[in-house]
Amino acid sequence: MNESITNQKLSELDPFLLNNLLEKFSKELEIFKWDIGASSSRDISVQVQQGNAKQLKGSQRNSMTLRVWNKDNKVGITSTSDLTSDGIKKAMKVAIQACLFANKKESPEFSSQAKYPLKELNSNIYSTHSIDELLSILKNAEKKLIDRHHSIDSVPYNGLSESYMERIYINSEGANRHMKLSQSSIYLYAKAEEKNKKPRSAGGIRINSNLEDLDIESCINETSDKLISHLNYKPIETNKYLVCFTPEAFLQLISAFSSMFNARSIIDGVSLMNEDSIGNQVSVPNLNISDEGLHPANVGAFSFDGEGTPTQDIKLVTNGILTNLLHSEATARKFGAKPTGHAGLGAKVSVSPDWLVVSKSDSDIDKDESLSIKNTVKEYILIDELSAIHSGVKASQGSFSLPFDGWIVNNKKKTSIDAATLAGDILNVLKSIVRIENEQIITHQGISPYVWVENISITGEA
Amino acid sequence: MTNSLLTKQSEDFVFHTFDDTLKPQIEDLLSLGKSAGADIVEIFLEKSDNISLLAEQDDISNVSPSLGIGAGIRVFLGKKDGFVSTNDLSKAGLLFALNQALGMLGLTIGSKNNKKFEGLSDLTDYGSSKNDWLNNSPDLNESTIKLIEATGALAGKNKNLQVRRASYSRNWQEVLVAATDGVFARDIRLHQTVGLNVIAQKDQNRSTSARRYGSSGNPDDLRNWDIDKSALELNESAQKMLYAEYVEAGQMPVVLANKFGGVIFHEACGHLLETTQLERGTSPFHNSINKKIAHSAVSAVDEGLSNYAFGSLSMDDEGMEPQNTLLIEDGILKKFLSDRAGSLRTGQPRTGSGRRQNFSFAAASRMRNTYIKQGSYSPEKLIESIDDGLYCKTMGGGSVGPTGQFNFSVEEGYLIKNGSLDKPVKGATLIGEAKEILPRISMCANDLDLAAGFCGSVSGSVNVTVGQPHIKVDSITVGGR
Repeated sequence: MNESITNQKLSELDPFLLNNLLEKFSKELEIFKWDIGASSSRDISVQVQQGNAKQLKGSQRNSMTLRVWNKDNKVGITSTSDLTSDGIKKAMKVAIQACLFANKKESPEFSSQAKYPLKELNSNIYSTHSIDELLSILKNAEKKLIDRHHSIDSVPYNGLSESYMERIYINSEGANRHMKLSQSSIYLYAKAEEKNKKPRSAGGIRINSNLEDLDIESCINETSDKLISHLNYKPIETNKYLVCFTPEAFLQLISAFSSMFNARSIIDGVSLMNEDSIGNQVSVPNLNISDEGLHPANVGAFSFDGEGTPTQDIKLVTNGILTNLLHSEATARKFGAKPTGHAGLGAKVSVSPDWLVVSKSDSDIDKDESLSIKNTVKEYILIDELSAIHSGVKASQGSFSLPFDGWIVNNKKKTSIDAATLAGDILNVLKSIVRIENEQIITHQGISPYVWVENISITGEA
Repeated sequence: MTNSLLTKQSEDFVFHTFDDTLKPQIEDLLSLGKSAGADIVEIFLEKSDNISLLAEQDDISNVSPSLGIGAGIRVFLGKKDGFVSTNDLSKAGLLFALNQALGMLGLTIGSKNNKKFEGLSDLTDYGSSKNDWLNNSPDLNESTIKLIEATGALAGKNKNLQVRRASYSRNWQEVLVAATDGVFARDIRLHQTVGLNVIAQKDQNRSTSARRYGSSGNPDDLRNWDIDKSALELNESAQKMLYAEYVEAGQMPVVLANKFGGVIFHEACGHLLETTQLERGTSPFHNSINKKIAHSAVSAVDEGLSNYAFGSLSMDDEGMEPQNTLLIEDGILKKFLSDRAGSLRTGQPRTGSGRRQNFSFAAASRMRNTYIKQGSYSPEKLIESIDDGLYCKTMGGGSVGPTGQFNFSVEEGYLIKNGSLDKPVKGATLIGEAKEILPRISMCANDLDLAAGFCGSVSGSVNVTVGQPHIKVDSITVGGR
């Protein structure tokens, strides 16, 4: 008999059956220590083009990563999307084979926190909508956006989706985590073109736990406002400028260099920090950075990580000083620390941030308190969005050279910048912050205020 | 908690063996789709068996095998399509997915029976000669030994290396494509790629260097890898860049090296010639067939045929054999790259370019092996023609915006002074727009070479080859400090 551990109609995982199967196979194959992370998702999404449905997509996906420890305590893993009993048994056999090639110097163990109580998250599963309802909403959003300005000719990239996700962690010592959540999102990326000018584009994205609370109107407003503001553009001169990062752009930059806070990257020698960096001043004294996966605004939050460790809020930089790192079980053991709930699941376990929060510390005053996104009249560059982060960031060297969307602002008048890149060194940027505004703004990727930095190199085409 | 509905193999046919015995089962599904009123129904079945290895310094630090199964069902009605993917390859699972895809287009099984389905053709089995590829590929033991050999070779050549990494991926994929236009085809794909990257450090100076090599359809590729040559090349690069200064930004002529230098053409032009872009109205070349879009020195092709090249394939993910597609000839645009949906929506003929990362993506028009053809100059002639410029020996990644703006990082660069290579520089980014840069490619050398890479786009990450000879761009914006 070949059992499937998913409910076929709902594509939901059954942790009880999964646990029974794994116990049975582990006995058969003489494996006494194992753990698994399994996930299941189903989603439905629509795209439109000039008032018509374009592509409609749905998916039911299941996957599982299985780790086993052999008699020599060496770890092997295998991932599979075949969650039938045959598929799971085959995965266990392959994982046992992989044990023979495990790294003897660093073997992961179960997290000491895999059975700790979890914080309750608002994980209501909201009912989904029909394709027709989704299409109608997205067609309406597309039309509203195009109607905002005569130059907006299309919304070439768009999508509205609803998804359901669940995640399981089980280990042979009785840890059993299971969580479900639902999510809805919209993205609109519009294009505008005026005679004898280059085409311009801008976009917006919104994510929420359900469609009813998805702020589509503000997504339309943001996209159209940005796009209209980019119609009047000019090249700028290559020079060093006073720069203001929007919350989105500053979070992009910090995320790109999050290996600074990542214990795994430090051990691997690919971080700017090292094992002795805790306690070092890494930025101006009035900058705080934390990772707050449990923040209520993080609608995609899971209450535990890949190793079953509860998701936790961790202060990374306090008053400009590096205070903590993000850990898995293995890195925490190496550093004499505790796992922080930021691990994946693997033979070599990855570590990554959940939801970065940047704030202003009151330990020191800003170098230039007069700067303000609302009131500053002197010339500056407002950086709205960074591009090509995968190719323009050298995280292990600290350097970056990134194209951006933004404006040159003078006497509060914004003029879009044609094509330009900003370049620098992240540690210099963090030490050249001259103003962190008070108001924290929630974005889809974290929270940050506007952050002002002086003397940033920008290459323009003027 | 929901109680699982157990699926018994004896009670429900499972689509696990991809051969012509599946034909009646698949025809049943396709007939149901047609009976609902669909114009075209396509089923894509996939099995995968992958391994991914990492060696760091002198140890294997990660061994990650993965196994996969899945199906993608796509239904066309006019120019619209519904696509559903699932891991459930039971008949019930596929029927559920088909129903969902039909439902997206307002179609219901059995509601219409006026669309004719004449059945599938006989199976075209491109995989019949490839059934032993998986067994003939290096096993875990052989591949881990090879990676340790590679990190060891790196250590022997440069005492400043702080991090030495070698990675290996073997991706084996068996696919079956069936569609109501009669297409019924099976293939086996084998892609292998090795990557080397290092961090060199001396005092406060740090440099990173990386190389990637890849092949398709060659089980012996890892065995034949010239490790010493790769290690030597990478070490030289890391050492030279260790003391490089930041490049000064500005407009200047550049020479782009061959092989991975072709990423500039891939990103800046190739993507804009995919019907995916034409459909969205974002290609500046949409009305440019038979018009001059590049300097007359430029001819370019996209093909899926070169032996062992990373982007080669026996059939695309819609069951069509790949072509050698001449994109640009002497600066004149000749053809776009098209998949089934792109052809339906834009009228451009299909070119065997329908590709997807796996079953969870609908196929889209994507590049395969894309390169600028070689010219007649020696590479030295290009450099000699520049008084003050930049030589981009190794390119990093890049991206192209929705309206053709592109950027590329330069991993290893050298200033050109008075017709000769000068000191190494770092931190350079090339920025421009395809429409403006193509006419400025004024010289092509006679040393065409290809390099393997991965391309991410609407249908996921696919294996591609980029390539070119050394080329000269008369003027481009170089971002720096």
